[in-house]
Amino acid sequence: MGFFSDLMEAVTPWAEVEAEAPAKEEEEEGVKDSRDEESEDKEEEEVEEEEEEEEMVDPKEKFEAECRESKGCSSYKHHFDECVERVTGKSDDGPKEDCVEEFFHLAHCANACAAPKVFAALK
Amino acid sequence: MLARSCLRSTRGVSAVRNGAVNTTKRAASSTSNAASPFALNVAGTVSTAMAIGSAAWYYHLYGPELHAMTPVEEGLHPTKYPWEHAKWNKTFDHQALRRGFQVYQEVCASCHSLSRVPYRALVGVTHTVDEAKAMAEANEYDSEPNDEGEIEKRPGKLSDYLPRPYKNDEAARAGNNGALPPDLSLMAKARHGGIDYIFNLLTGYPDEVPAGAVVPEGLNFNPYFPGTGIAMARVLYNELVEYEDGTPASTSQMAKDVTEFLNWSAEPEMDQRKKMGVKVITITLALFALSVWVKRYKWAAVKTRKLNYTPPSMGGKHTNGH
Repeated sequence: MGFFSDLMEAVTPWAEVEAEAPAKEEEEEGVKDSRDEESEDKEEEEVEEEEEEEEMVDPKEKFEAECRESKGCSSYKHHFDECVERVTGKSDDGPKEDCVEEFFHLAHCANACAAPKVFAALK
Repeated sequence: MLARSCLRSTRGVSAVRNGAVNTTKRAASSTSNAASPFALNVAGTVSTAMAIGSAAWYYHLYGPELHAMTPVEEGLHPTKYPWEHAKWNKTFDHQALRRGFQVYQEVCASCHSLSRVPYRALVGVTHTVDEAKAMAEANEYDSEPNDEGEIEKRPGKLSDYLPRPYKNDEAARAGNNGALPPDLSLMAKARHGGIDYIFNLLTGYPDEVPAGAVVPEGLNFNPYFPGTGIAMARVLYNELVEYEDGTPASTSQMAKDVTEFLNWSAEPEMDQRKKMGVKVITITLALFALSVWVKRYKWAAVKTRKLNYTPPSMGGKHTNGH
């Protein structure tokens, strides 16, 4: 429905409203849908064939891994790596420490960097 | 700034003192050199140091923000994603909603209820009438009592609500190690961060827990969940669902679709709301333009009139009766 006809309906509350769409139209829609799906299927089959050769890679993981290694997140990555090294190399009787906060900073940086790329890659 | 203005005022004070001293000096013509440049420099330096020191002390006392919770307890703040449907002039992607419903039904519905969504709500949104009817009929619901007063089962109708996976919350807790899977109908509105939180939570399970982090037994590490220990394990894996439209079902694709679907279930009126907003703005603008025109029309006579005042000449030889 066009915007203006819709607008007209909005300012003319006496316009008719149908609870159910006529059956004929529905059939047509159904046909259309199946046609759409067919054509889409064809397109995506090609895509799938390409992907079936190798394991599917989640775009989010891919871009985030790239972002973690990127220059923008290098300081967070450095801190996180340093922390992991310190914590894993430590004896058990020392003070308890974890790398969750360092992980947070790195994850936040990588996610923010990857977010637009991920959504561009997804449907 | 504070330090500088303090310094300036000290300077002013010393200048006044200087003047005063100078006058006394002139009056008494003594040889005291109280106002030597050295003393002034010392005064300036000391007052600057005092100003900076007090500002630093104030910052030390009140500057840092206080947090009642540690970052771990608060959880990692969700990253904002550029949701297409969240833009003010965009609608839900209804194919994404359909895929999202599929993900909900095949993955989430085994633990989470969606108790505020009836099958009729899906009609025209994700499914056709016949599809929705078929889905409803696949479930059994209690019917009216029969002649003996027994309640029989009947197949579902469009007006029935989506069935819940557990009979009640207690059963849900018992089935999930004491943790209650929350109802998802309004989840997009019920959590800080909304849809970004849901998407981040679903996709945010790291491959390995960061070193040193303690994850209690029966819980899983998820940075976005406050406290990082969440009872729900990672559920979405690549190609877990096979989409009927052939979309590659990567983890983030499923998470995105189901998040958009949950956004719809929490806010089914969004498409209509935005449309209504545009209508309201359009009609209001037209009425405003009309009112501006009417105002100018009504005031035209007032605005364009010319008042001419010819003063009577005073005195002189006026003898025409005035």
